[in-house]
Amino acid sequence: MTPVEQTLLTALVPIITELDVSRARQEATAIAAAHGFSKPAAYRMATAISELGNNIVFHAGEPGEIRLRVLRADGRLGLEAVAEDRGRGIDDVALAMLDGYSTGGGLGCGLPGCRRLVDEFEISSAPGKGACVKVRLWI
Amino acid sequence: MKSLAEVLRDNRAAVLASWRANLTASVDGLVGSEETIVNLYERLLDGFSRSLTNSLNDLSFGPISAYMAVLSSERARDGFSPSATSRLLAAFKAAVEPVLRAEYASDVDRWQQELRKVGEIVDQLSVLTFEAYMKAREEVIARQSHAMLEISTPALRIWEDIILMPLIGVIDTSRAQHVMEQLLLAISANEARVAILDVTGVPIIDTRVALHLTKVVQAARMLGAEIVVTGISPEAAQTLVRLDVDLSSIRTRGSLRAGFSEALRVLKRRVGTID
Ligand SMILES: Nc1ncnc2c1ncn2[C@@H]1O[C@H](COP(=O)(O)OP(=O)(O)O)[C@@H](O)[C@H]1O
Ligand SMILES: [Mg+2]
Repeated sequence: MTPVEQTLLTALVPIITELDVSRARQEATAIAAAHGFSKPAAYRMATAISELGNNIVFHAGEPGEIRLRVLRADGRLGLEAVAEDRGRGIDDVALAMLDGYSTGGGLGCGLPGCRRLVDEFEISSAPGKGACVKVRLWI
Repeated sequence: MKSLAEVLRDNRAAVLASWRANLTASVDGLVGSEETIVNLYERLLDGFSRSLTNSLNDLSFGPISAYMAVLSSERARDGFSPSATSRLLAAFKAAVEPVLRAEYASDVDRWQQELRKVGEIVDQLSVLTFEAYMKAREEVIARQSHAMLEISTPALRIWEDIILMPLIGVIDTSRAQHVMEQLLLAISANEARVAILDVTGVPIIDTRVALHLTKVVQAARMLGAEIVVTGISPEAAQTLVRLDVDLSSIRTRGSLRAGFSEALRVLKRRVGTID
């Protein structure tokens, strides 16, 4: 049985340019601080958002958005970020999750690194259907 | 029957007076000085008397278009909104309407036709006003952000052969390019052999920033200079480890002090005390 989730706060940042990625990151950092997340935890979330946001800007080819949510479940407080776009999508998700794999001259450790930064990581994508990555960090 | 231009010429004083009366002194007085209004009137009159169409593209409307564009961009540079400029035009139209109604009382079709002409030209001028305003604002913003780039990447010569560039703010693609250019310029201008890049003021070091740093290091090496990166926070260090970014090709030191020692070591120099 999945525990009941209570949403405490939501925020949405449209992602078109690198400046928007900064905005999403700043928003997440402020929210994390206001809800008692530690500095390293906030920094990890900010970095994860930076990776996911930059992937939208540089790979999706279409605008996207980052949705932030503070939630409580099982008496724990969590910070969630969902990065979603309707862009060109990822041909092979398993491949994209490998360290060093990049189709765009990047370092290729954004997605796999992102998974190592957070407590929960879900990715779904199909060619031509965009991409959606959900990450969560718990206190 | 008089033409539109003739009506405007013959009723000049009356139209100017009611145009002025239509402007609220407090708001529109800022743009609608006597001189401006008269200048606009002359150019509108000139346009209407020579034009063959209802389009602002008609060459005869060149002078009024140019005048409005300049007026609007001046206002933009002074930080005012374009609404006062377009209210100025609306006030002109309101002043002309009763004069036209009286003049063409006997010919409804003609009245409608001339009224439409005035309306269309005023509308097109309003659009032009906003466009000129937007363009001027964009220029201001571009200039400001360029100025910010300049001040945000100073290169300081702190020792024989050593320069320091403290980075402050987000390193996005254009910033990274600028840092690269400025650093390489500073290295060659100062014949520096070590450049310390302090990233204390960079809010996040993700894989893109790491990639930019690696590229800067490679380019500097081609000029015969080593880069020492300092100021990576404990949080950033932890995060970089999790990202598994390979920074082994870069000399990194925690503090600026340690970075300076490293720079001296690279140069095989030492700072001693005088006894
Ligand atoms: N939102 C996205 N839309 C399309 N492709 C993506 C998206 N995110 C990631 N990818 C694909 O996954 C690859 C790996 O991403 P990542 O690990 O972040 O490395 P990098 O961004 O350095 O290329 C990218 O090169 C790209 O092909
Ligand atoms: Mg990436």
